[in-house]
Amino acid sequence: MDVKRDILWRVYLSYIVVAIVGLVIFGKAVYIQQVQGKHWRSLSDSLHQKIVEVDAERGTIYSEDGQMLSTSIPQFDVYIDFAADGLREKNGKRFKENIDSLSYCLAGLFKDQSALAYKRVLQQGYVDKDRYFLLKRNISYRDYQQLKSFPLVRLGKNKSGFIAEDKSIRLNPYKNLAFRTIGLARDSFKVGLEMTYDSVLKGKSGNRLVRYIAGGVSVPVEGGYESEAEDGKDIVTTLDVFIQEVAEEALMKEMIKNEAEHGCALVMETKTGKIKAIANLGRRSDGNYYEDFNYAISPTEPGSTFKLATMIALLEDKKVSLNSTVNLEGGTWKVADRTVFDSEKHGRYEVTVKQAFELSSNVGMAKLALFNYGSAPSQFIRHLHQLRMDTLTGIDLTGERSPVIFKPGSRFWSATTLPWMAFGYNILVSPLQTLTLYNAVANNGVMMRPYLVSTIKDQGVALREIEPRVVDEKICSEATLKQLKECLEGVCTEGTAKELFKGSSYKVAGKTGTALVANGSRGYEDHIYQSSFAGYFPADNPQYTCVVVIKNKPFAQVFYGASVAGPVFKEIADRLYTTFVKQSNYASQKNIRKDSSVFSYAGYGTDVKDVMKSLSWNFKDSSGIDMDWVNVSARNGSVVVANRKTDVNKMPLLKGLGLKDAVYVCEEMGLKVDVKGRGRVVEQSVLAGQSIAKGQMIKIILN
Amino acid sequence: MNNRNNNISQGVDWLVVWLYAILVGIGILCIFMVEYRQGTDWAASFIGGKTNYSKQLMFTGICVVMATFILLADSKLFTAFANLMYAFGILLMMATFVVGKTINGSKSWIPLGGGFNLQPAELCKIFTALALAKFLSRQETDFTKVKSQVIGGIIALAPAALSVFQNETGLALVYFSFFIVMYREGLPPGLLIIGFSFGVLVVATLVVEPNILAATLTGIAALCIYILKKQIKKKKRVLTLIIALWAVCVGVQRFAVPYIFNNVFQCYQSTRIYSMVGKDYDCSQNHHRGKSTDTKPAKKPDDYNVRQSKIAIGSGGVMGQGFLKGTQTRGKYVPEQHTDFIFTSIGEAFGFVGSFLFLSIYLFLLFRIVRIAERQRSTFSRVYAYSVASIIFFHITVNVCMTIGLFPIIGIPLPLISYGGSSLLTFTILIFIMVRLDADRQMVLR
Repeated sequence: MDVKRDILWRVYLSYIVVAIVGLVIFGKAVYIQQVQGKHWRSLSDSLHQKIVEVDAERGTIYSEDGQMLSTSIPQFDVYIDFAADGLREKNGKRFKENIDSLSYCLAGLFKDQSALAYKRVLQQGYVDKDRYFLLKRNISYRDYQQLKSFPLVRLGKNKSGFIAEDKSIRLNPYKNLAFRTIGLARDSFKVGLEMTYDSVLKGKSGNRLVRYIAGGVSVPVEGGYESEAEDGKDIVTTLDVFIQEVAEEALMKEMIKNEAEHGCALVMETKTGKIKAIANLGRRSDGNYYEDFNYAISPTEPGSTFKLATMIALLEDKKVSLNSTVNLEGGTWKVADRTVFDSEKHGRYEVTVKQAFELSSNVGMAKLALFNYGSAPSQFIRHLHQLRMDTLTGIDLTGERSPVIFKPGSRFWSATTLPWMAFGYNILVSPLQTLTLYNAVANNGVMMRPYLVSTIKDQGVALREIEPRVVDEKICSEATLKQLKECLEGVCTEGTAKELFKGSSYKVAGKTGTALVANGSRGYEDHIYQSSFAGYFPADNPQYTCVVVIKNKPFAQVFYGASVAGPVFKEIADRLYTTFVKQSNYASQKNIRKDSSVFSYAGYGTDVKDVMKSLSWNFKDSSGIDMDWVNVSARNGSVVVANRKTDVNKMPLLKGLGLKDAVYVCEEMGLKVDVKGRGRVVEQSVLAGQSIAKGQMIKIILN
Repeated sequence: MNNRNNNISQGVDWLVVWLYAILVGIGILCIFMVEYRQGTDWAASFIGGKTNYSKQLMFTGICVVMATFILLADSKLFTAFANLMYAFGILLMMATFVVGKTINGSKSWIPLGGGFNLQPAELCKIFTALALAKFLSRQETDFTKVKSQVIGGIIALAPAALSVFQNETGLALVYFSFFIVMYREGLPPGLLIIGFSFGVLVVATLVVEPNILAATLTGIAALCIYILKKQIKKKKRVLTLIIALWAVCVGVQRFAVPYIFNNVFQCYQSTRIYSMVGKDYDCSQNHHRGKSTDTKPAKKPDDYNVRQSKIAIGSGGVMGQGFLKGTQTRGKYVPEQHTDFIFTSIGEAFGFVGSFLFLSIYLFLLFRIVRIAERQRSTFSRVYAYSVASIIFFHITVNVCMTIGLFPIIGIPLPLISYGGSSLLTFTILIFIMVRLDADRQMVLR
């Protein structure tokens, strides 16, 4: 049948067409997925995959005795995207329903504005359709957790428009303590150790490949290219919280008494060159003192403390002996149209060189220098160079500025340069350099490089120990050294500092300095004196070298080195002597046995248990699983781990906690912490169980 | 004739019903895949009626009711009212010019209130299929006659013409699928061959450089003359025919196609067609461009959709990225993914294997429908079943080709899968009328 064949043929043809179309589609699909697959996949990746930086946690700065000087804690900035779809959905139904309760909660949490005020700003933001409305900056972790449970906010980012940007900020638990030296770590601005050791502290931020999905949420790509963020290393400084506190207190006391402009006090460990304390205080317009600038590493005219260098030159070149005589002319002497004045009236004429030094006679030094080096000033300059007075000390602290010492032949060199230089004028030398020089004398002529960081640690394991470094094995001959020591001790027994150290139980060697300093363009008219004292103690076996430099206010009544800087030095020396020097003598005599059967410590639950397990201690665990903080104590001869109860908005018990844990607990509760001492918490100013308010100050004492 | 059992299941081709159910199910899952966001309660949002997948579930419910009604209806109803319904459909389409609502640039919707809109051009597919079946099954119709063929063509293309005026070119193209039916019923293959050749010529014009194409055409003509030189000696007409054909081809290639692209099509349409063959269209030649300058310049390149779609399908690989894991899908990178580009979600999530299986289900359904068509005793049922097969085939082909960049983007949904009440309802009615007719395949319907 022709018709049937025709129809069949048509039907088959239809089938074939369908099959061909199917094949073409099939082919194209294979082509896209298999042949071009890579291309499209990579295109897909490039469209919504991105390598993001994962911030590393910045390392902590510790003091030598293990106290935290600077650490990082998390903080949040909270923004609202008022144009979020979820928020504006159904004519802003969600926003309108929640605004009252949200405002109420916000006011309750932050306590800085009334609920009504919050409602007003939120409504304004909604009307303005602000896409990046700043609600609050610097919210602590605890507050942030609470905020997340508030109405609207708890609905999530898409529905509430709430965006939190987390960042970590630096916290100095000891606040002002060595603040300039520890430094600041802001993104744009770093100073101090934070700057010097920035590369060590900041770690290495990692990279993570993330994929963006709807709503701007990013999810890490499994198996994608990734490098872990390497957390910053911790650094252990040579600073000692106790010595630092002593230095700062002593300096502060004297500065307030004299209303001085600014000052610094440095303590160095004689044998090693470790900077144990570095206190800088500057007066602010409100009369308070604050670590505002690192005066210790800024060169100024040193004044009489520099006479030590002149003495070294004279004695090394054997130009004079301590018994040679020099005429002080009663304290005034005219040379090349300028007059040298001795700052302290003494009315003496013919004295020995030693006496001239002890009396801190400018005339004496000027004369000796001029007579002995007048014809060959470069010889004197060469000595200064050998004493490294013209170079940086090389301390590991950014910001040390170069000293200025003129050379013969320079256009600043005049007939009076040499004699003035001899008593510490016409040159600029930093207190730290003076400290280094005096320390070299104390250390039997071995000049140590001052340094601030002793160890770099990674998670408690020392990566690198920084050893003391000798920069000059011998700055002068043994004979000179002996004479220098004699002179310095003489200052404290016979000379300008005689009154200061009367009745001292140990011997001190040092030199006062009183220098009239220029005040910018006003020159010397304002009668601003810089009082200083440099020395070491105990003189017969030097342990610490200390330099105190204080710049007085204009026309100050009291300005002599011995009466302004001297007392600071003495207080530091006295306290260090009683705490360290004397004690080490006792310690060797008596071997006190400690009773360790009674103890009570506290800490973070999981950490404590980890430690105990790894030490394979047997302990009774009576704490719950979810408890953060636990007590470890001895009970009937066995170790018991028990819960510490913490109530929200109630002051927790801090006793037994280490500093890091204590600060963490307090900061988390929104408290400001003022720390004293070291070790574990023994006292807290707000008692446990009392209700607390945000931003309240709490003082804790560690021992 | 009324000896029919009241049991509706009698004679029903359950295989088609099952395939239908499976496809609708896959469709809802696909929409769910596109819309679902991590963290939402999926069970609640399925019932909630706010998300598209729950809406689609609702539409499915409506469709089940509709299908039940159709299965309960008498087959003769469809033959009796075929012409009337066709007239009604045409009227509805005309009504859009008066009360129509513009959605996505095409004024082809009639608002029904309550947020629902009806697209008559969709529904008209059913009416046209019925009317065509009615016309071809008339005793007095002899489809070998040109007159009948012309009438059939007009029945099929009248809604298409209206659709073009509604600015809904995509749907208009669907009506061309009726030519497959008419071919089965005896339309001379010459027409289809001419149509196909014309298509090839147009594509060649776009792809091949004009002068080379002209030279090729001349070469083909010369070759034909050489091969047919004996016939030419016998009949001069053959030569005239060849030369005339050559002239027409070159004319089309040289003038007609550029004219159409520059003057008839909108700039975006030309660009899409050109981008499909991988070329850029210079819009400055388009005379419509004057009008479009006041509109905002498009931020995304015109092949953005296809590119995103290809990325989705391409990144699926062999096995796919897994259910709810596709990046393109979850990131909402593919525009219109729940409607026209729903295929990409399958391609990305289940990869090549998944797409293959999915298309196999479709192919199985198509062959089943053709089989059903061939077992009918009445021409009406046969023509109607063929219409259903053709429409579905055309939809699938164009839609899938569109997503993989084989065809320019025209808004044609994937039957039973794409989100959309109108579309789902249309295909449900289309298929279940066929099932109803098939259940009565022992009857001869006129």
